[in-house]
Amino acid sequence: MDPLQPLQQFLPQVWFFILGLFLFLYVLLDGFDLGVGILSLTASSEERRSILMTSLGNVWDANETWLVLMGGSLFGAFPLAYATILNALYLPAVIMVVGLILRAVSFEFRENAERKFIWNITFGLGSFLAALGQGFALGSVFEGIQVDAAGHFAGGIWDWLTWRSVLVALTLIQGYVLIGSTYLVLKTSGDLQKTHYKTATIATWTTLAGAVFITVTTPIFSEQARNLLFATPRIYIFGLIPILGILLVGLLLRSLKRQEENTPLIWTFLIFALSFIGLGFVIFPNIIPPSVTIYQAAASPSSLVFMLTFIGFLIPIVLSYNIYNYVVFRGKVVGDV
Amino acid sequence: MSDFFSDTVALSRIQFALTAIFHMLWPVLTTGMAIYLVIIEGLWLKTRNLDYYHHARFWSKLYVLNFGIGVASGLPMAFQFGLNWAPFSEAVGDFFGTVLGFEGTMAFMLEASFLGIMLFGWERVPPVIHFIATILVAFGANLSTFWILAANSWLQTPAGGVFVNGKFVVQDYFRAIANPFMVNSFLHMFFATLETSLFVIGGISAWYVINQRHPAFFGRSLKVVLALAIAIAPLQIFVGHLSAEQVYHYQPAKLAAMEALWETVPAGQPADWSLVALPNDQAERNNWEVKVPGLLSYLLEIKPALGNPIQGLKEWQPANRPHMVGLIYYSFRIMVAIGLFFAALMSVSVVQWLRGKLSPDAIAQQKWLLRGWILAAPLGYLAVETGWIVRCVGRQPWIVYGQMRTVESASHLPAGEVLFSLVGLTSMYLVFFTAALYFGSRIVRIGPNLELPAPAVVGQPKLDPAQHERDHRPAEAQQ
Repeated sequence: MDPLQPLQQFLPQVWFFILGLFLFLYVLLDGFDLGVGILSLTASSEERRSILMTSLGNVWDANETWLVLMGGSLFGAFPLAYATILNALYLPAVIMVVGLILRAVSFEFRENAERKFIWNITFGLGSFLAALGQGFALGSVFEGIQVDAAGHFAGGIWDWLTWRSVLVALTLIQGYVLIGSTYLVLKTSGDLQKTHYKTATIATWTTLAGAVFITVTTPIFSEQARNLLFATPRIYIFGLIPILGILLVGLLLRSLKRQEENTPLIWTFLIFALSFIGLGFVIFPNIIPPSVTIYQAAASPSSLVFMLTFIGFLIPIVLSYNIYNYVVFRGKVVGDV
Repeated sequence: MSDFFSDTVALSRIQFALTAIFHMLWPVLTTGMAIYLVIIEGLWLKTRNLDYYHHARFWSKLYVLNFGIGVASGLPMAFQFGLNWAPFSEAVGDFFGTVLGFEGTMAFMLEASFLGIMLFGWERVPPVIHFIATILVAFGANLSTFWILAANSWLQTPAGGVFVNGKFVVQDYFRAIANPFMVNSFLHMFFATLETSLFVIGGISAWYVINQRHPAFFGRSLKVVLALAIAIAPLQIFVGHLSAEQVYHYQPAKLAAMEALWETVPAGQPADWSLVALPNDQAERNNWEVKVPGLLSYLLEIKPALGNPIQGLKEWQPANRPHMVGLIYYSFRIMVAIGLFFAALMSVSVVQWLRGKLSPDAIAQQKWLLRGWILAAPLGYLAVETGWIVRCVGRQPWIVYGQMRTVESASHLPAGEVLFSLVGLTSMYLVFFTAALYFGSRIVRIGPNLELPAPAVVGQPKLDPAQHERDHRPAEAQQ
């Protein structure tokens, strides 16, 4: 056996894990930013909207940066996947980028504008479009991307638009609204907080409905998923995830009913983590489902080692100062409501 | 024109160029201004003069406006290599993607995370921690410059590996990063961001002084700017000259385009420097031009006659040399002229400073000098953009110099799809450019808040973490 073979397997796996971590942190952290953004469309007064945006002011930028980290690292670690996936998802990616641009500039322009109406709309709409683009992207990666023998994109420009990717996109938006609501429960007080206990409860049910529908329909419509899911030993993992999921949703609903402040966000984090682990198991060892594996798409081992040397040791540092940022700004955002 | 709209490669190139040109406008100010903010905050901590604190607060408003748009416009930059340049991404991802990954992890995240503390943390962390946060924001921003310039320099002078079957195989990462252009290119851009920011700050300060709004306060920032520019403006000219010499050695076709030089000048002859010309790409000559005899030989070799020949554009097949010679030629001249103007303005200002004409009582009488500074404020941007045009249009037809052609690097997308994103992004850029100008000038018109008290946390012990402290940001944000 080639002595390098274990290494050639191990390195792409490590990078699959790191990219998964970056993407997970992005979905979790910018997820609540985008959720708050979508919720801001329903804010009943300018003061409330100000508080919503203020609660994100110091973190949205760092949160969004996880996506840039993910993009850059995907480019370096799996160049083929970076190129093929972005080609396949050209339109959803453009929708996402446009949404994120609108969201970002709205923060600064609204701050300086006397008439804030336009920038309120662009803020909410930008957050919505970004979530929508991400939902479509997730849905179509989940669904599979058509490639030729070399792993290049070989499908059409509308491949990403199917009824199931629409469903995934809608569910992701619900999930973002849920995590945004629980973040606001943590960061606000008074009537504003009460409002978001309500939105969190509603979003829990709508997210749950979407998730159940996706979980049930995936094995029905995809033979590949069926083969994957019902083979041992994966069946045990996939059997466990829905059970844990239902348990966490129960805990979340209980904490919302009891009007606890910190736990709703924690349960939501765990629900996201669980879904993400489930997703990881469905996709692994592919990076461009259904046919290109991480081993085929990986950069050279020396490249992966070089990246790992520099990025690997930075991950704990990056995490530490991000946490420090949250600690400095802990507590409630207050204002005249 | 109908050909153009159905040409995916041309549309992708336009989209990349416009995105890069638009994106560059914002980080050029924030990376340079971050260093200025470090100095201002350091001066405040050292002297405890409240003016410096108010300067820090005032300029960070302009800073954050630019930062927001910079982050926003950076996203299409991060993704469009995969979106529009998939064959390129796949071929060079092992190195180029790695460097972009480094930029994100090492630099961008640092900047983005500590920005929150720098902007909103005045009352929340002790002054030393705040100062460290400001330093880390500046460090992160300039580290970004380093990685981006390392990546771009590698496109200009690829090193550290070989192309095998069209795919770049890295043999030595450190040599690839430390490619021949890297040091000078980084320094040139580092000075460019700093110089642009200094002249923006100086120009706005001059505007306040000439309008008699807080002249003493803004006389102070003008002097801080001047003290830094004394070193930066001449250094930039020197580094720029070294960069041009490197182009002469490594990318002779680009140098020929920069000089609109069609015919080779053989060794032993003086080379003239063209002052104005009308280059004609089809006829392979300049329709007319005005030359300074022998100057180019002096610039390149400090000799009246050349030791080595300078190759003219005709030495290369049309398919192997840059086109749009007029654009490259004039962009280069505009950039150089601005660099020289900055150095001249700086010299005159220093002389006046030494003569005591910039003292708080006398400064407002220096009308022409102040007008010069106001004029200089937007010029740094123009120099940076024209410099990048020379660098990247002059590199054509190559995306990786001598190795991979731009036309072979574009994604095979339907033209309509690229047209859609091009129109969408460009219209957003136009709206945001206008809005940023409007809001930026609004911040300047409103001016600094000189009533703002020093942060309360100074000298006090840190708040007990067990206390559920309140967040004061809405009130703070409105100041």
